[in-house]
Amino acid sequence: MSIALDQVTKRYQSVPVVNDVSLKVEQGEFLVLLGPSGSGKSTLLRAIAGLTEIDHGRVSLHGRDVTGVSAREREVGFVFQHYALFRHMTVAHNIEFALQVRGVRAAERRKRRDELLRFVALEGMADRLPGELSGGQQQRVAVARALAHRPKVLLMDEPFGALDAKIREELRRTIRQIQRELGIATIFVTHDQEEAFALADRIGVMHQGRLLECGPPDDLYTRPATRFVATFLGAANLLLGYRQPEGVRFAPPAADAPPPREVVSILRPEEVELAVGADDVKSNFVGYGAVEEVLFGGAVERLRVRMAPDGPMPVAPGGDDAAGALLEASRTLPEQRQLPVAVGQRVAVGARRIHVLPTPISSFTIVCENETQGSALRGSPLLATLADRMQTRVNVRVGPSAAAPPGMPVVAAGPDSARTVAWQLDHGAEQLLCLPESAPLPGHVVIFAADAEARSRTFAVAASLLRHIPAEAVYLSIHAADTPQSVRAEAMRALLDARSAALADHGLDMRTEIRVGDPVTELLRELLAHEPAMLVVGIGAESAAAAEWLPQMIEGPVQRPVLIVRVPAAGRSGDA
Amino acid sequence: MTMAGGFRKPSVLPGFGLTFGFTTFFLSALVLLPLAALVLKASAVSWPEFVSILLDERSVASYRLSFGAAFLAAIVNAVFGFIVAWSLVRYDFPGRRLVDAFIDLPFAMPTAVSGIALATVFSPSGWLGQKLALAGVQVAYTWLGVVVALILIGLPFVVRSVQPALVEVQRDLEDAAETLGARPWQVFRRIILPAVLPALLTGFTLAFARGIGEYGSVVFISGNLPMKTEITPLLIVIKLEQYDYNGAAALGFIMLVMSFVMLFTINLVQAWGRRRQAGMGR
Repeated sequence: MSIALDQVTKRYQSVPVVNDVSLKVEQGEFLVLLGPSGSGKSTLLRAIAGLTEIDHGRVSLHGRDVTGVSAREREVGFVFQHYALFRHMTVAHNIEFALQVRGVRAAERRKRRDELLRFVALEGMADRLPGELSGGQQQRVAVARALAHRPKVLLMDEPFGALDAKIREELRRTIRQIQRELGIATIFVTHDQEEAFALADRIGVMHQGRLLECGPPDDLYTRPATRFVATFLGAANLLLGYRQPEGVRFAPPAADAPPPREVVSILRPEEVELAVGADDVKSNFVGYGAVEEVLFGGAVERLRVRMAPDGPMPVAPGGDDAAGALLEASRTLPEQRQLPVAVGQRVAVGARRIHVLPTPISSFTIVCENETQGSALRGSPLLATLADRMQTRVNVRVGPSAAAPPGMPVVAAGPDSARTVAWQLDHGAEQLLCLPESAPLPGHVVIFAADAEARSRTFAVAASLLRHIPAEAVYLSIHAADTPQSVRAEAMRALLDARSAALADHGLDMRTEIRVGDPVTELLRELLAHEPAMLVVGIGAESAAAAEWLPQMIEGPVQRPVLIVRVPAAGRSGDA
Repeated sequence: MTMAGGFRKPSVLPGFGLTFGFTTFFLSALVLLPLAALVLKASAVSWPEFVSILLDERSVASYRLSFGAAFLAAIVNAVFGFIVAWSLVRYDFPGRRLVDAFIDLPFAMPTAVSGIALATVFSPSGWLGQKLALAGVQVAYTWLGVVVALILIGLPFVVRSVQPALVEVQRDLEDAAETLGARPWQVFRRIILPAVLPALLTGFTLAFARGIGEYGSVVFISGNLPMKTEITPLLIVIKLEQYDYNGAAALGFIMLVMSFVMLFTINLVQAWGRRRQAGMGR
């Protein structure tokens, strides 16, 4: 293992900019860290180089823990966005700098320098000053300089950011070639997805300080796990889908039927099929729509199709829901020839391939007694933040109904909320958010599974939640005081397994703590010590324990958001 | 129209004749003419007399003090001015803007005021003078006083020259040097210092030149003892008061030559710096 990061956290003024990132990079691997600006990718890179101190976690390079080691002694090569060449030194002196400060003899330095100049195709430029070179050449010098001392890892921070498109492409090829030849573990930071696809063995996508997903480019593109990755890597239509026995369908279910499992599904523009009528659609028929926009773009044509109002529902709330979803589609030239379309034309739409995100949170529905309460809840910091960052919709359902809404019901915390919560859970809700109207955005999330069977689902929901709020997470394992030692040891093992499973399956990295006592006391102690806090609690299908103490958590004197995850009773369909 | 045709180039400022005329007049009337008068006056002095004035024991002592103190003060300013500029550029502390504004104060204050203030503080009965007297050091009315006054006068020149150059040294460069294995002092000596050296030299030369010509702030603290604490500008004034116009003109001429050499050096240093900067454009 060349580079290993373990729960690396960096805070600026107590806000985590790098949040619990764990990552491994193999010898010879080229990893691209991709993310929008401000996602923490550069800070993470600097932390690996030792240019930024971290607040928590560990950095290992080639099996050596370098967390407390200065940048000077980490033996890394670092390439900066603006080259950072020493402008008063010639190219030769720049490249030899690392050797010179190590006291390497002149003859040896010259040999290595010539070798590196050949490597980056800059022979004969040794005596130039950096200012006499073009941007692309300067960056080549910077790469050569970073490799002079034979570092074991190479770190590059948006190295092509300041260069124009043609030179970037050329440099990309050079970098990839050098990296292969040296077999050096490399982390390359960029916000350009095209660059990431062109270079990476693996891509790690960062957002708001968290490493959301990490995997081979094609995996991330075709099977993203989060909506951020789905939309950041290429274009995507995010639609609410409903798991029916025959597969995922887009038509919204009736309000009084027990809700089918609601999912977030992704339909890439190139997977959208257009045809004249429903019978001509070769893939899964989605519905009829009208072409609203056609853009010719050379090899591909881009279209926007307005679907019928009773058709698929986009995950993100749009301005004109009544008008129906706006689907993006792209077609190749042969497809265009088969069915030329014009603006305003009615078309049948099919979906060739739908990818369903594993995220358990699809949409929110506020269940309340009147509109005032509904809008108060909708405006509460936590829900507003989640809706905004998840780009998901918040519905409001006023008055009684026959069943829980699909997705995540939201109920107001209050004196009588325990009864409402129990009713929702008994009428089809698998997860539920109990929310005080004025609760601030939590900075600390306490995760607790009352029953072992609920653990995995709880982690999934917590991971989904934590991707969108900049909070720290701690998982509590609470044992009664009279638990025998053997059971505790077993629980400890299960806990560690669960943690690594949570990391592997959901990308959720969290701290874990074991407490002895009763759940209510321990949870309250943890919550009160870290206000504003939030509780994520998982309960089993037939949990009796939960019924006893859950009301205390919801209706206690200090109210805070409580997210309840419940394992569906056996026999209920929809969990495919 | 054909008259000035060879000179003219399209320009945003109209009225070439007017501006060029004013420039010529300004230079001639206010700079060249008085200087020419000085040279003329000095050249009227016979050669042996000229040499004897220049090599007069008292004159030589005054050169030694003027140049020596100015040089020493410029050296001190180069070191501490760099440190001041560094702390102003690199650190953010409460009152940074205030300190930044204070740097320019010696520029704006009448030099006589700063001279009197210094003399008061450093005189044997003054605040600092008392303490220093206990340690056996006397500042006021010695050559040390002259140096102190010139340090005060010269500091802003160094700070204001170095500041922009330090801003230019990006943090990236230090980070780069560190990842390449350089120790802190290597980073300073090999990266930071070379980058600001031209600016530092400019600041040094400016402070030095100003120190040679400084009069107002020095005369109050130096005590003006002939042969000991008498600077050349003061000697000129003394000669004038004694109606020794030849002597004043000869000394003035020497100061003029010195100033010219100084300015020329500054220009050379700046040109050298610019040449290096020119190689730096992205």
